[in-house]
Amino acid sequence: MTQAAEANPYAPQVARLSRVIDETPTIKTFCFDLEQPMEFRAGQFVQLGVPGLGEAPFTPSSSPLEPGHLEVTVLRTGGVTERLHRMGEGDVCTLRGPYGKGYPVEKLEGKDVVVVGGGVGLAPLRALIHVLLSMTDRLNKVVIKNGARESAELLFRRQYDEWAAHDKVSFEMTIDAPEPGWAGHVGVVTTVLEDLPNEVNVPNSYAFSCGPEIMLRFVTFALLEKGFQPEQIYLSMNRRMSCGIGKCGRCNIGPYYLCKDGPDMCYAQIKDYPNVF
Amino acid sequence: MSKMLFLSEDGLVRLLEAVKASEVYAAVRRERGPEYCHLQKVPEAELALREPRPSSSLKAFLQPAKERVAVYTNEGFDVEASRLVCEDRALVGLRACDLVAIAYLDKVFREGDFKDPFYEARRESELLVSVDCVAVHENCFCTAVGGRPFAESGFDLNITPLESGYLVEVGTERGREVVDRVADAAAEPTDEQLAERNAARQKSIDQVEKQTRGLRVTDKVQELLLAKQGTDELSEMAARCVECAACTFICPTCHCFHLYDQVGGEENFERIRTWDSCILGGYSRMAGPAGAKPTPRPSLRSRCANRLLHKYAFSPQQYGMLGCTGCGRCIEACCGEIDIREVLRELIGDTSG
Repeated sequence: MTQAAEANPYAPQVARLSRVIDETPTIKTFCFDLEQPMEFRAGQFVQLGVPGLGEAPFTPSSSPLEPGHLEVTVLRTGGVTERLHRMGEGDVCTLRGPYGKGYPVEKLEGKDVVVVGGGVGLAPLRALIHVLLSMTDRLNKVVIKNGARESAELLFRRQYDEWAAHDKVSFEMTIDAPEPGWAGHVGVVTTVLEDLPNEVNVPNSYAFSCGPEIMLRFVTFALLEKGFQPEQIYLSMNRRMSCGIGKCGRCNIGPYYLCKDGPDMCYAQIKDYPNVF
Repeated sequence: MSKMLFLSEDGLVRLLEAVKASEVYAAVRRERGPEYCHLQKVPEAELALREPRPSSSLKAFLQPAKERVAVYTNEGFDVEASRLVCEDRALVGLRACDLVAIAYLDKVFREGDFKDPFYEARRESELLVSVDCVAVHENCFCTAVGGRPFAESGFDLNITPLESGYLVEVGTERGREVVDRVADAAAEPTDEQLAERNAARQKSIDQVEKQTRGLRVTDKVQELLLAKQGTDELSEMAARCVECAACTFICPTCHCFHLYDQVGGEENFERIRTWDSCILGGYSRMAGPAGAKPTPRPSLRSRCANRLLHKYAFSPQQYGMLGCTGCGRCIEACCGEIDIREVLRELIGDTSG
């Protein structure tokens, strides 16, 4: 980014797509090889846009350990994402960021880490998983649970075996609507949390979840029921983050602006405010 | 030269003429009452220094209702077109509550990890000339939110209108420079004049206090609001709200904005920001199917409650000050005749009003 653009926080850099990966019928991953690497923490987000149309907030799904190569995984669900999905290699996007706090990775030394994804929610969590996999020697255990509506919508399926192959890492997936021949687990993602107290040492754990709001709500209730304290639960909250820098006002939960204080919020911080879920 | 000066009617005109700014925003007399207006110079119009506060806030001069914040041409980001060049500006005739609003907006736009370069450019070169409220608007309630109808800090120059002439207090070096240009017109104030100032100030306080009828937004009120959030009690004003958003647009501290891109020509685009309002239904709507609940505050009740909470409970946590200056402009602006003072009074359980 030029220095002038850096001094203007509303001005994005122009970035050319190096590759577009079809992930599921509704999700694509947009890849950028950036001239100037974008250093970010797992969980921080960027504003990715279509020139002249507008931008939307996404947490990168690529590894923060490779800041020169940025991947953003996008569900087709609105005006900007519709147009993004029609773009291909060589097309130009707008990009600014990173914004927000990111996951509190420094708290995880010696801990059991539970990662719960739902649908496209696994995208931001993949950035976290990359970081967790790079520091397994300092973690006690990583338990990944992923759910999707149907098997075709299971995101990053090509990487599940690779993740599960790591020492200290376990992976489990489930789908709501199985097709004939599906041999895996069936049910919403909370159904694979039932056995959690036997998989992790709950008082020594942190849980991170990202997915649709309704899923976050039930995952939170399930975790609380399994003995997690609100302080141990981090949720990727969904609000309309526009400016990204805590000025435009629209992404608040209580006194917190998700773009500045989140978008991953500790449940203890937000639980007493109305309209959280 | 001392910090306090006396100027005659003519002397004040000379002082204001000595404000060398290429852009002047001033409280001037208009047929309908005092207004903040854009002037080429002072005194192009008759200034409103003895009237109650203008009915509009000065927000539009600090954060315009619509502004271009980035321009892209075929060559990429256009640095020149995306920059705000601001020459010397002067805001004249500000009331104490407007200075409080500037202090609040400064916290929003000039502090934190990211600064707003447009707001910053405007504020950097700005001379602030405030004036005591010798007349009080019937909706004013500044004393209820910790304010006073005159400024004690935050200005470059502050004017106190007297029966005959004016007292001018110098607040900064920048203010001192202006005063120095008309040193021959200034005199040391007499004890009588200083006493008149104190009396006039007390009279204004008494007037505001009288119409405020003991209302006080204290820490306790903030606790009460937080305790009642999510209850119907907090959103009762929604019954009369017509969702016009006038309260947020007239409010001197409301600063929410909307960013959008538009195609400006062949293969280029520009990014625009406009004022936005948390009262409007689409304000925080997200992409996604309707069933996925893409609006965190779908009901008007929840939006009204959020506005109230932001003003009186969240702002102190975010910026260390209330988001309300007690100017009462939202009371005049409201089509539904919502009186924020009554809303607060009912919440506190004070039925004496």
